[in-house]
Amino acid sequence: MLKIENLHVKVDGKEILKGLTLAVPTGEVHAVMGPNGSGKSTLANVLAGRPGYEITAGSVTFQGRDLLALAPEERAREGVFLGFQYPVEIPGVNNVYLLKAAVNAARKHRGLDEVDAFEFLTLVREKMRLMSMEESMLSRGVNEGFSGGEKKRNEVLQMLVLEPRLAILDETDSGLDIDALKVVANGVNTLRSPERSLVLVTHYQRLLDYIVPDHVHVLVKGRIARSGDKSLALELERRGYDWVTGEAA
Amino acid sequence: MTTAASKRVLDEYAAIRASLPAGVVSPERRQEAVQALAACGLPSTRDENWRYTNLRPLERARFAPVAVSPGSATDGTAASATPARLDGFARYTFVDGVFAPELSSPAELAGLTVCSLRRTTQDSSDHSGSGSATVFQLPRALPALSSLPEARLALLNDAFATDTAAIHVAGAAAQTARVELVFIALASADTGSIYPRVQVSLDPAGRLVLVERHVSAGAATHFINSSVNVDVGRGAHLTHYRLQRAGARATWVDTLSAVLAADARYGLLAVNTGGLSARSTTHVQMAGPGAELTLSVAALGDRQQVQDNFALVEHIAPRARTEQTFRGIASGRARVAFNGKIVVREGAAGTDSRQSLRGLLSGPEAEIDVRPQLEIYTDEVRCSHGATAGKLDDNMLFYLLSRGLSPEVAQRLLKWAFLEDVVAKIEIPELRRQIEHDLAGQMADAASWKELL
Repeated sequence: MLKIENLHVKVDGKEILKGLTLAVPTGEVHAVMGPNGSGKSTLANVLAGRPGYEITAGSVTFQGRDLLALAPEERAREGVFLGFQYPVEIPGVNNVYLLKAAVNAARKHRGLDEVDAFEFLTLVREKMRLMSMEESMLSRGVNEGFSGGEKKRNEVLQMLVLEPRLAILDETDSGLDIDALKVVANGVNTLRSPERSLVLVTHYQRLLDYIVPDHVHVLVKGRIARSGDKSLALELERRGYDWVTGEAA
Repeated sequence: MTTAASKRVLDEYAAIRASLPAGVVSPERRQEAVQALAACGLPSTRDENWRYTNLRPLERARFAPVAVSPGSATDGTAASATPARLDGFARYTFVDGVFAPELSSPAELAGLTVCSLRRTTQDSSDHSGSGSATVFQLPRALPALSSLPEARLALLNDAFATDTAAIHVAGAAAQTARVELVFIALASADTGSIYPRVQVSLDPAGRLVLVERHVSAGAATHFINSSVNVDVGRGAHLTHYRLQRAGARATWVDTLSAVLAADARYGLLAVNTGGLSARSTTHVQMAGPGAELTLSVAALGDRQQVQDNFALVEHIAPRARTEQTFRGIASGRARVAFNGKIVVREGAAGTDSRQSLRGLLSGPEAEIDVRPQLEIYTDEVRCSHGATAGKLDDNMLFYLLSRGLSPEVAQRLLKWAFLEDVVAKIEIPELRRQIEHDLAGQMADAASWKELL
């Protein structure tokens, strides 16, 4: 599904990713963990195509295609989804408009007709119930006045409606209390399937209690310093990041 | 501005004064206006509050009103420009500044009088005995000629006006009156100027919703100079929508003066998208304690358009409240300006005034000027103001792209959202849809935009 090889990325002239290599096969859930400043968010943003990141070396292929050659909207239509760490508020752009426009953009790309308005709303309502979201949030501006937890739920809702092939969730767990975390994890878990891959970017092991990854990678100073199964996350939790950063240094 | 133009005003006035309808504006007042204009001269961009206006059309303008051709309202061109009717609104249409009964649908409502001063005064003087003429007496005299330098162009309207839409609402009635005025410009600027003119007065406790539209028929250049006087009595409520959608080659200048009595409420919402060069001057006096003004303006400029707005709100009486919102978008090489001045006079203690002015630049050659001005001559006031001019937010844009929207749709959506602070205040759903449609048309070149509505 996703293959990152020797990726080097600069932000404002400073190298953040320094030769990152990572492969996420179809149907797997990978967690990318790491201390602050290790380059986790840079990785997520580069994959989604946010401007301002200079790729100096390496490659990223998504389903055999050069992902970095695609514009952000093309990546989305091909099935790449980024769950934002800090979802932006867009007052005046209605949540449901955005959802529908996003779904239709992807459908058009695949040569399909626009989604039926009634079926679409039925689907959205069902997913909202799953995310314990009030229906009134649909008619509000995108994330407008939402609490931190509501914003994260809205990200997952969008993901559930868009049904991406590859979802990258950037610290979707940060700022969530335990109940909200369970709701979000439950939502993400419904999307697990043999055709889909997930990348969970997180600082804490906590999320992985609810979304159990197939593989765990530790990102340190712009490189994968260690990979393992879910027990690696537990060990990190116990020993702290110093354990790997010390080794990596 | 050149003395040449001022002299032309005098000459043109002298040549046609005898033919101007005395019932619309008295000859004395016309004369007074011409003299006042000769004394102060036409505005120039050296004047502080005219610097964003495109005043060049004034140099070439023919000030005398266009001759009213009897069939102009019925030949179909004007009718084709009339917007869709609004449910429950009586409609009065004016073509080239003169009432066109053929395109109007009056309604009877107790306490509401609407008339064309040109017709009413003609009918009452020739005793035609048609029976339909209501002898209309203005409940209040017109306010004295404004000495405000920013309101100078209204003097031209005073001097040359060809008709007036006069609206009067008597005190408390069971129903809120609903009136729509449609001003259609047909005549080309080289045949003269067009002078839409409105006079609105609400007696104490009166209620009126007024929709005022300015449109063009055909693609001629027009020189339109409109003047609106508003008088909101004690405890009366006026909701006033003003939609300026003059043709793409029109010059549009406009002056609105309003006086609010105690506890009066005035909601003024303007959407300015038309014209090549447009200037709108708004002057509101908070003359009675506890008066409330909500002034909301949205302006769009594209290509070479100039959309200049000047608003002066004077707090004279205590405890009055003003809320001012401006949202302007400049694309292409357009210039969009809002200059909002709030003056709190001595004795206007307890004034509460909020101002939010925002401009959006949507093109490397576009220009936005937002300028809040605040003058306070008393203590105990609450005045807040915010003014920003900038580009679309990169984070918002990327968020929408990351959801698969094309850059064009994403940008349009964000522009739309930007205007929402004003558009959301439109309380008539049908009107709101019409305005949204117009705005979408103005901003969109692709059909994909309309999917979002």
